[in-house]
Amino acid sequence: MISKGATWNSNSCRIKFARRFVSALLHMRNRNTRPGSLTIEGVRTHTQRIKIAAYLSMAQAVGSRRAWSRAVLSKHGSRARRHSRMGRSSVGLKKTRVIRSYPPGELGQAKKLRQLVPGGKTMDMCSLLEETAHYIKCLATQVKVMQTLADNFSK
Amino acid sequence: MEPNLGTIVRSISIGPNREETGLESLQFREEIHRLMTVPPENGSSFTELLQLPETQAMELLHSAHSDEVVPVPLSGEPLHGINDDHKSYLPSFNGNLTFPSNKVLIERAAKFSVFASGEHSPETSSVPSDSSANLEKVKSEPAETDSNPNSSQLLVSDPAVNIKNQRSEKRKEREKKGKGCTKKSKIEISQDAEKLPYVHVRARRGQATDSHSLAERARREKINARMKLLQELVPGCSKTFAMQISGTALVLDEIINHVQSLQRQVELLSMRLATVNPRVDFNLDSLFAPESGSLADSNFHSMVSPLLWPEIPFNGNRQQHQQQWNFDALHRPLWGREEDNHTFITMENSLLNYESANSASLHSNQLKMEL
Repeated sequence: MISKGATWNSNSCRIKFARRFVSALLHMRNRNTRPGSLTIEGVRTHTQRIKIAAYLSMAQAVGSRRAWSRAVLSKHGSRARRHSRMGRSSVGLKKTRVIRSYPPGELGQAKKLRQLVPGGKTMDMCSLLEETAHYIKCLATQVKVMQTLADNFSK
Repeated sequence: MEPNLGTIVRSISIGPNREETGLESLQFREEIHRLMTVPPENGSSFTELLQLPETQAMELLHSAHSDEVVPVPLSGEPLHGINDDHKSYLPSFNGNLTFPSNKVLIERAAKFSVFASGEHSPETSSVPSDSSANLEKVKSEPAETDSNPNSSQLLVSDPAVNIKNQRSEKRKEREKKGKGCTKKSKIEISQDAEKLPYVHVRARRGQATDSHSLAERARREKINARMKLLQELVPGCSKTFAMQISGTALVLDEIINHVQSLQRQVELLSMRLATVNPRVDFNLDSLFAPESGSLADSNFHSMVSPLLWPEIPFNGNRQQHQQQWNFDALHRPLWGREEDNHTFITMENSLLNYESANSASLHSNQLKMEL
C-alpha cells in the first residue's frame, strides 16, 4: 500500500526510480564480489558508487524533460564516459570556457543554489527556480525510496 | 443573410477543434457558395468581411485545394496593406495558399470586422459577437491597443502576433498579456520568417508601455510565482513570510538548506546501503539470517562516522508505522551531530536486538508495500 498523499505523478516517478535503483544495486553487487568492502576505503568507494547510481537512476527516471536531469545524465552517463575515453573533450572544454557572469541583481544565495542544483550554472533565475522545485520533489522521493530500502535490507 | 453568416462564423469557430481540414474546407466552400449567390447588400456579408470584391472571393474559393499549409509566410505582406489597399491582399493570397487553417481566417475575419467598424456600418461588429470566445478575446486585445499612439501599424500586425500569442498561450498555458508572451511570439515570428519590421508589445491596461519595465515586470512576476511554489514544497517555510516579496532572501536560505539536507540524506543512505549490500545474498530471506547480525556488527564498527547511529532507533518506529514517511527522525541526526557521540554504545545494543527480533516474511511484505 503506497502512502496516501502521493499523486499518480509522484508514484510513477517513485516506482521508476525504485526499479532502476534496485537493478543498479544488484548489478553493482554482482560486480563487487571480492570481500574488500570491509575496509573503510572500500566502503567509501562503494558509497560513492551507490550515490552516483542513485542520482543517475533518478535522472533516468525523470528523462530528458528537465534541465537538471539532462545535466546529470551528461555528467555521469555512459555516453559521456565514452566521449571522454575517445578523447573528444569538446563538451568539457565548452563548459569550462563559458565563464558565466552571475547576474548582479540577485543575491549570493543564487550562486549557492546554482552550485547545488545540477546544471544550474547555465540557467537564468527563472528557470533555476523551476528546476529547483522539481529537483526538490525528486530528491524527496529518492530519499524515501532509499530509506525504505535501507530499512528493509538492514533488518 | 444574417443567419447564414452566423452559421458560417460558427462553423469556422468549430473548425479549429477538428482535425480533418479537408472536411472543413468542403463545408466552408459549400456555405460560401450559398452566400455568393446572394448579392451583398449589407456590410455584413462574407465578401465584405474579407474586404474583397465578389469575383476575387470566388477565385479564392476555387483555388482552395491544398489545406495543409499554414498561412504564416503569406500573412506578412497582406497584413501591412490591409487598411490601405484591399486589392493588394489578393495577389499574395492567391500566390500561396488561399484558405489556410480556419483558425487564422476566423481571427483575420474578426480583425477586419472590428477595424471595419470605423469605416463601414456598425453591422460588421455584430459578426464577432456571434463567434466564439476565441474571437472575443481577439477583439478585446485590439480594443486595448487602440489607445496606443501608433495604432494603425499595431492593429495591422496584430493578427499575426495574435495567432502566435494564442498558440503560444495555449501551448504554454499563459494568461498574461505582458511582454513575456510577446517575447515568445517574437521568437516564433522570427522562426516562421515573419517579415514584420518591429515587435509589438501588448500592454496591459493602466500600466506603462515601456518595453523595459514590461519585461521587468513579467520577469518579476514569474520569479515570484515560482518562489511561492517553492515555498510550498519546502516544509516549514510557508509560515515564515508567507506572501511577502521582501522575504525572498529568507525563503532562498530555507530552500538552500532543504536541498543541502536532502543531498546529505542521500549520502547517508547510500552509505547505509553500501554497508548492507556486501552482506551475504541479496534476496530478502537470507538477509535476515542470524549470521548477518555479526557481519553488520563488524561493518558498523569499522565505520568512521557516528552519524549512522542516531538513525537506528528510529528504524524500529518505522517498522511499526510503515505508512508514515516522516523525516523528523532523520532531521535530528543531521542537525544534532555534536551530542550523539556518547550514544554510540547503546545504539549498538539496540541494533542487535532489532536484528534478531524480526521475521523475514514481514520484511518482504513491507518492502513490496512501501514501494
